[in-house]
Amino acid sequence: MLEISDIKTSYGKIAALKGVSLEIHDGGLTCLLGPNGAGKTTLIWTIAGILKAQAGSMKIDGEEILGLKPHQIVSKGIVTVPENRLVFPDMSVRDNLVAGGFSRRKEKGGVEGDLEDVLTRFPRLRERSEQLAGTLSGGEQQMLAVGRALMARPKILLMDEPSTGLAPIIVEEIFEIIGCLRDEGRTIFLVEQNAHMALKYADQFYLLEQGRVTFSGEPGAVDHDEVIQRAYLGARKAS
Amino acid sequence: MDPFLISVLSNIGLFSFLALSAWILLIGGEISFGQQAYFAIGAYASGIASALWVWPFAVAVLWGTVLGAGVGALVAWPAARLSGVHYAIATLAFAELTRASLNVFRYQRDVEGYLTGPDGANGFRDIRWVYEAGIEPGPNLTIIALSLAGVIALIGLAARLNVMAQLRMVGEDPILAAMQGVRVLRWKIGAGAAAGGLAGLGGGLYAHLATYIEPAQFSVMTGVHAVAYGLIGGLGTALGPILGVLIDIGLLESLRALAAYRMIVFGGLVAIILILRPRGILDETLVAKVRSWVRR
Amino acid sequence: MLDLAQNTLDGIAAGAAYALLAIGFTLIFGVMRRLNIAFGPSIMVGVFLGAWVHAQWSAGLIGAAAATFAGVLIASVYVERLSFAAIRGDAALASMASSFALWMQLEQGVALAFPGRTTAFPTLPQLPDVRFAGLFLGGDDLLVFAVAGAVLLLLHRLIYHSHFGLEMRALADSPEAAAVSQVNTRRVAFLTFCLAALVGAVAGMLIAATDGQITPKFGLWATMKGLIAMMIGGLGSLRGALLGGLALGIIEAQAQWYLGAAAREIVVYGFLFLCLIALPGGMAGVRETGAERKL
Repeated sequence: MLEISDIKTSYGKIAALKGVSLEIHDGGLTCLLGPNGAGKTTLIWTIAGILKAQAGSMKIDGEEILGLKPHQIVSKGIVTVPENRLVFPDMSVRDNLVAGGFSRRKEKGGVEGDLEDVLTRFPRLRERSEQLAGTLSGGEQQMLAVGRALMARPKILLMDEPSTGLAPIIVEEIFEIIGCLRDEGRTIFLVEQNAHMALKYADQFYLLEQGRVTFSGEPGAVDHDEVIQRAYLGARKAS
Repeated sequence: MDPFLISVLSNIGLFSFLALSAWILLIGGEISFGQQAYFAIGAYASGIASALWVWPFAVAVLWGTVLGAGVGALVAWPAARLSGVHYAIATLAFAELTRASLNVFRYQRDVEGYLTGPDGANGFRDIRWVYEAGIEPGPNLTIIALSLAGVIALIGLAARLNVMAQLRMVGEDPILAAMQGVRVLRWKIGAGAAAGGLAGLGGGLYAHLATYIEPAQFSVMTGVHAVAYGLIGGLGTALGPILGVLIDIGLLESLRALAAYRMIVFGGLVAIILILRPRGILDETLVAKVRSWVRR
Repeated sequence: MLDLAQNTLDGIAAGAAYALLAIGFTLIFGVMRRLNIAFGPSIMVGVFLGAWVHAQWSAGLIGAAAATFAGVLIASVYVERLSFAAIRGDAALASMASSFALWMQLEQGVALAFPGRTTAFPTLPQLPDVRFAGLFLGGDDLLVFAVAGAVLLLLHRLIYHSHFGLEMRALADSPEAAAVSQVNTRRVAFLTFCLAALVGAVAGMLIAATDGQITPKFGLWATMKGLIAMMIGGLGSLRGALLGGLALGIIEAQAQWYLGAAAREIVVYGFLFLCLIALPGGMAGVRETGAERKL
């Protein structure tokens, strides 16, 4: 379990996260919803160790890991699929996948087998394995990014807005993949603006607004319409 | 072999070190206009070692290489946080700082009744070890070629061990690379050291071939050419920058009819290739195609 | 103490010309986020053309000025077409490298077209020198300073109080947003290049006329001075260009006086290197944009 409590991150003088607390339970899909500019990507980058938090704590299975370097976070099993910058465009699909396994290169074997597993899971990547990743379509790049993350054998998979910029039909496909991963018992932390799709698959969700968690719960127990509206547009004072 | 051909081939070999040096940094995602600084450091350091301290040639050149690598790492460490234009100008500033410092650098000594050593802007004459040892231009070319082959073999080995792949990741997207567990800062410093060492090695060999070096030889234009070689030859493989050197020195400088217009032709060639093939002739797409064709 | 003050004054006078060069760089970088290294050599094409017209027909300062403007403009358009307009997308480094390649062309082109090491350039009319409290300021220095100030004021008006200025700022802020707001981005980029060329021509002419001669090293010299001034001041900021130009002038004058010519170069490049490492935003404190922010 990843416990995040009272994390504060800022860009210069601008506070992006003003004390965020949430829990990511093992073997489930935890979802973070919120409008643009709420601080969703900032939170992902803070967890991944790219951005430094000014305060707070982050514990994986009780061990404090806030302030570790990005490669140490990866070696703790927390692997990120970032938004937009999905692949290394001038490297082949195969090399991109192998890159995901670098954090485990000290283990003997396994990487080759995992490569085979990923190529079996995503046959389209096998067809294109020698192509440069930059020539893939948006949906294929998203698949490649997920495949590369799986190569690291993640304990927790962080996904930042996998639906950005994709056609609705591709978005459905991507969410089916996410659903499959969840059904396999993996732990996933999904950050999404597309609350409609995310709520269909989530076990638990948090709503982030203006750098604060303002709402949380289980999808079955809440009014979806209100959550969706707030996730897209932010809170309304009147309601 | 024809002496002219030997001298052209020697020049191609020597500038290949400088081109590979700039290429390594291009792979790491940075444009350096300052690799001539390490070429100069290697040339001066190994020249001083062999002419003033009377060290053997190989040890002197090795010393130039190590010094180039050390200074390269020292510069890369603070410069690693800079990106794009800032990095390019910082390396340029460092190279000009080096050149300006060499202009006032005097370190002369009496060696066997003969005053020698760097004399500021007047340069550094009589780096004669190779000639006193009776090594002819032909065998000297062999030394250069073998060193270059060794470097290329080393880069090939690095590619096998996924070293080049990690450097490429850092170059293409440092944040995404960090998210894969790659230690970005270390790689940037390592690339700076490798590039500095390569240029230092080339400089050491150059000093002993030329026997005379002066600060003005290590100007901005030298550094710009080094970058241009990688950009036109291609970033896909280590052969790219060498192809660039071949085109410039092998073709343009050596063909007398073209020599007067060399800069115009070469400059135009670079500009056109950057439009048509932004990552050079032997770019990653071509290399990937060749590789999949070989695997089939 | 008097020396220190006199050096500062001399430095400011030289710095005004550097500031003009830096403004030319800044205009292009600010709007396109790309560096045109061939800016100095483009100016060199102009001043050599001006000097040639003067030598050929004794055209005087006016004729030389017209030829200078024409030359800088033609060279700049050439650079813009090949190194900037033709290289699309996120290719700041490719454009920078390409402009370096064109620099080689321009430099050799000038050397072939105008052989000879130094060429005379018509000088400015004799202006009265200014003396006060033991300090001395040459009349032509005063003129350079006045012109630099006027150019800066005009540019400020153009950028902040005209429709074209609004388009420039929109393009500088976000090319995508500008394009969907019906800004013809290619036209604005082209015109910005021409504007920078005009500023560069003014700078080149003033410098050449003050010296009374030009050498083939002018291109390298102008690019280095403008670039250093811009980087010290802060990439892409007009205020930074002015501050950086003056700072560079003062540092050079002081170092020259107290340490000598050879040490001056070391001081200037050392200062630039330290500035870049310690203060990447420059004296104007330019915040790096999201696109530039890396690890």
